[in-house]
Amino acid sequence: MKKGQVTAVAAGNGKQKSKLYREIVRHRSVYLLALLPLIYYIIFKYIPIWNAQIAFKDFKAVQGVMGSAWIGFENFKEFFNSFYFWSLIRNTIMYSVGKLLISLPLSIILAIAIYECTRPVLRKVVQTLAYLPHFLSWVIMYGILLTLLAPGDGVFNDIVKMFGGQPIDFLSNTKAFPWVVLFSDAWKEMGWSAIIFIAALMGIDVSLFEAAMVEGASSWQRVRYITLPSILPVIVTVLILKLGTILDAGFNQIFMLYSPQVYSVADIIDTWVYRQGLLEFKFGLATAVGLFKGVFGMILVLLANWISKKVTDSALF
Amino acid sequence: MSKKKEHLKPELQNKKVKLTAADHTFNVIVNIFMVIILIAIILPLWSTITLSFRPVDFIGTNLDGMFLPPWKWSTAAYESLLGNNGFLMAFMNSFKILVGGVVCALVLTIPMAYVLSVPSLPGRKIINIIVIIPYVFNVGMIPAYLLVKDIGLINHLPAVFLPGAISTYNCIIMRQFFVGIPGELKESARIDGCSEMQVLFKIVLPLSKAIVMTIGLYYGVAFWNDFFNAMLYLNDSYLNPLPILLRNILIGSGMNENLEVTAFANAPINAIKAASVFMSAIPMVIAYPFIQKYFTKGTLLGSVKG
Amino acid sequence: MKKHQRLIALLLAALMVVPAFASGSQEAKAQAAGTPEDPVTIELWFGAAITEAGMIPDDWVGYEIIRNELGIDLKLSMLPSSESDQDMRIQATGAGNALPDIFMVRRPVLVNLVNQGLVAQVDDCFAKMPVRTSLIYDQDAINNATIDGHVYGFASPGAIVRNEGLLVRKDWLDNLGLEIPTTTDELLEVLRAFTFDDPDGNGIDDTYGYGAFVETDATLKGYPGSRLWPIMGAFGVEGLWCFDAPNQGLSIYKPEFYDFMVFLKQMCDEGIIDPNWLSYKKDDFRAAWKQGRFGVMYEQNAAYAAEANYAPFDSNFPDGEWVIIDAITGPEGHASIGAYDMNYRIYAVSQRAADAGKLDKICELLEWMSSDEGYYLLGWGVEGVNYVFDENGVPVAGDLGDNAFTGSEGQVYTQLRNMVFYNSDVELISRYPTYTCAVSGKEMSALTALREMQGMKWTNAVGSSTLPTPSADVQRFYDQSLAEFLSGAKALTPENWAAFIDQFNKIGGEAWNAEGVAAMEAAGLVRE
Repeated sequence: MKKGQVTAVAAGNGKQKSKLYREIVRHRSVYLLALLPLIYYIIFKYIPIWNAQIAFKDFKAVQGVMGSAWIGFENFKEFFNSFYFWSLIRNTIMYSVGKLLISLPLSIILAIAIYECTRPVLRKVVQTLAYLPHFLSWVIMYGILLTLLAPGDGVFNDIVKMFGGQPIDFLSNTKAFPWVVLFSDAWKEMGWSAIIFIAALMGIDVSLFEAAMVEGASSWQRVRYITLPSILPVIVTVLILKLGTILDAGFNQIFMLYSPQVYSVADIIDTWVYRQGLLEFKFGLATAVGLFKGVFGMILVLLANWISKKVTDSALF
Repeated sequence: MSKKKEHLKPELQNKKVKLTAADHTFNVIVNIFMVIILIAIILPLWSTITLSFRPVDFIGTNLDGMFLPPWKWSTAAYESLLGNNGFLMAFMNSFKILVGGVVCALVLTIPMAYVLSVPSLPGRKIINIIVIIPYVFNVGMIPAYLLVKDIGLINHLPAVFLPGAISTYNCIIMRQFFVGIPGELKESARIDGCSEMQVLFKIVLPLSKAIVMTIGLYYGVAFWNDFFNAMLYLNDSYLNPLPILLRNILIGSGMNENLEVTAFANAPINAIKAASVFMSAIPMVIAYPFIQKYFTKGTLLGSVKG
Repeated sequence: MKKHQRLIALLLAALMVVPAFASGSQEAKAQAAGTPEDPVTIELWFGAAITEAGMIPDDWVGYEIIRNELGIDLKLSMLPSSESDQDMRIQATGAGNALPDIFMVRRPVLVNLVNQGLVAQVDDCFAKMPVRTSLIYDQDAINNATIDGHVYGFASPGAIVRNEGLLVRKDWLDNLGLEIPTTTDELLEVLRAFTFDDPDGNGIDDTYGYGAFVETDATLKGYPGSRLWPIMGAFGVEGLWCFDAPNQGLSIYKPEFYDFMVFLKQMCDEGIIDPNWLSYKKDDFRAAWKQGRFGVMYEQNAAYAAEANYAPFDSNFPDGEWVIIDAITGPEGHASIGAYDMNYRIYAVSQRAADAGKLDKICELLEWMSSDEGYYLLGWGVEGVNYVFDENGVPVAGDLGDNAFTGSEGQVYTQLRNMVFYNSDVELISRYPTYTCAVSGKEMSALTALREMQGMKWTNAVGSSTLPTPSADVQRFYDQSLAEFLSGAKALTPENWAAFIDQFNKIGGEAWNAEGVAAMEAAGLVRE
């Protein structure tokens, strides 16, 4: 919308034939392309952000968003003063950073392995099946984890017991639980996330490999100097985007897996908001937490974008 | 090049280049990794498949169940699901959401991603910020609900997909791929007098089939499995899509304690849960093989230079 | 190029138009007369009897009958099956001030909605429905929907109370030559024998004594949950709240709660409670007893004895037998199977509906539901199609097959039955018929099991559901601390226990308790 107006206004004042004006005119069809999506953004993304003012209000449904009374930062204070605030932040960051460190590299490695695999049958089978665990809901995954890890009759503990060890209750032990969360997430999602990297690998210029081989580069060197740099922009993009939602640590997964024994290492911001805000009609509070997460994410995105511009020369904006 | 789909890098196989020891190690490691991954994938899948065919009178653990011979399997869980009164209606609703959603999403996302990929565009930074802010500030359920209610989408199927018709994540990923298309191609097209629209349709899109398909797939899967929007926005029970039905089946069948009858007396609850997983994967299982066709090495440059 | 531009313009126009026409239908037309020709629209969100069976088909005869007889155009919407989803949907709709005319809602959510001024007072409505009020809305029910002195909904009986029991594998006891335990010491002996002496004689060490999972809520079932009530009962700490003076308040403050924790910790340490109990969800637990994993458990009557639920156990263990036993007596003479509160399903009327003058029509609809016509239509369907009367006047499936109210085609027509049922004998007999087990040939009935369970020693905790619920932080602290004592993360010593109570008080437990006691006293629930 805004850009469309700019174009119209600029076209009206024909006097200023600056470079900028010429550029804008030259790109007028691009603005036209942007028009519909931008209107969409204003309606479906910015009106909710406008509605998010209830974070600063004592939201009363009857009075609506505009009619409710302003209460300043009360909702934010309730969150910051929560008894478990620091534990929530710590757990949330632990899981989201952990997932970035485990799931993301694994999915990149998987994509490269699929790309490099020299056995067509193996490659085809893996490529065709890898995404499927994504569809196993956490309810089902919980059942599978229980089969593997239950202290009573889990496969893993059966093996431990066979060697005379003490069974470990992975799902209710505070030391083991975070690893269960991180690795079960990698297990379920790595094939799905790898698809995007496989798509990126398709764009690599084959002649680069040919040239490298002629020059006697080994497979390792090819991966290191051709494959990885070629998909680096996509990796960086994914990484920056994931940093933007760093305070989302996977509600569905945690909500399904956690229990009171492991609350101390499992309760994350989203599960807290669910219990304290959404189920209690404290929508102002829930929205305030959303805004808080947004500020945090925005800072990280800008920071990561800046660093990435310096280091890799590819950035979001 | 399209005839050589047997391998991602067919040309390399054809070259008679001598493999060094390091190359061999590399191949061995890659293959071992692939086998480990394969096992890690097949394990839960097999466990879920066998669980979905579990007969009601089975004794033993889930592990024993994975080795149950197929002739003892029972299709009761699938019969219960497919025989459910609301199944066909829910399937049709889901199908409408899927088609409407993917079309809408691509019509909106492709231009947005393309606009963001034009480096010389004045104001691109502003548009970029406009796009990234709502992604980071995910303000949650109620502000979104109020919007959907205010524009009167409650009880209309588009309520399920319109709020997510541009996923900024998908949009920016797509932009990144558009950026990766060599600029000189676009420039030469522009010099030849092509409009931006033509550049998009004639140059960019044909070179981006893989990513467009992939993003379309991401959208399709998200819409097909969306439960939350449907639950909030579709109060009319005759509009409920498949995920609502499946969830009612999953949770409802666990709450049958007060009932003298259950809808699914013949199948264990866990089998029904497992079977419903495969319902949620339907669009993916159907679409993925087609998409894989475009996952051929060098698609991009092949079509440019070829 | 032109073509594409036109395409974009078209799409743009479409996007602009969508909201315009969609919002047009929002405004209600002028007040309807409430006659068959000009019916009043009433939107009802109901909790379906069998959510997994799906929605009532749109050709249901009820729609027509209700329009013709009452002048009501009924719009039905089935609430999601899980309670938290229901809460979510109703609160979101509430936030949009768009609640339907009448809807089912849990009390905690109702309190939130009342605070928001979204729910209509219905104090005067009961006089308008004499039949239904005499059948369903007794004083307890009305109290359950009362908030700050006003009635904000119609509470009808939910699940039958005292419908759970302590069950022991009789065949295992016989195999080992043991008696039914009556005290905590005897219980320990039985649990140990069940765990270590191979009670099923299969030569494998694959059994445990006690089986459970964590089933808690915010008002009645405090951590570690109702599945351990018989053991908590032996120490007099069953139920989250205690209503007996001078101990009125949270049970956690009783010194006996510590003794119970010590006992439970001992069970965990000895390994005589299925170690999976902390990880099980309800379905896993239910699958486990059907596989013969443990020999003592706390289970609900129909989950145990209804035909479909018992069948897998019967085919796995034709010689297996569960017996319902009475409460276990603890060291100080306490004994209780558990605490019970009345269960209600509250149907509330939105303030919007009341403002639109729909309250009388809603009362008319509810009263009709409790007439003979409404009761049988909603409860069982159409006579001769979905049910027939047997010689005792009880509706039965007869030979109606799939169309019967128990059959796959017929059951969807009874989705509204929870709005009319009030746990009468006719309903129970019809709901829980006596059947013969397929494999063992035993005679079973969930109704017999229910009657037996109801006859045991129970603790009255009626009114718990009207007491205040803790904030998420207090709740988490309570659950987490107890769980950590059990897992050994925190050593269970009197000092640590005192420190825990102290900390609990500080972060809001004391206030919660005080608020609860005040509410209890105000409602006259404290027993001398």
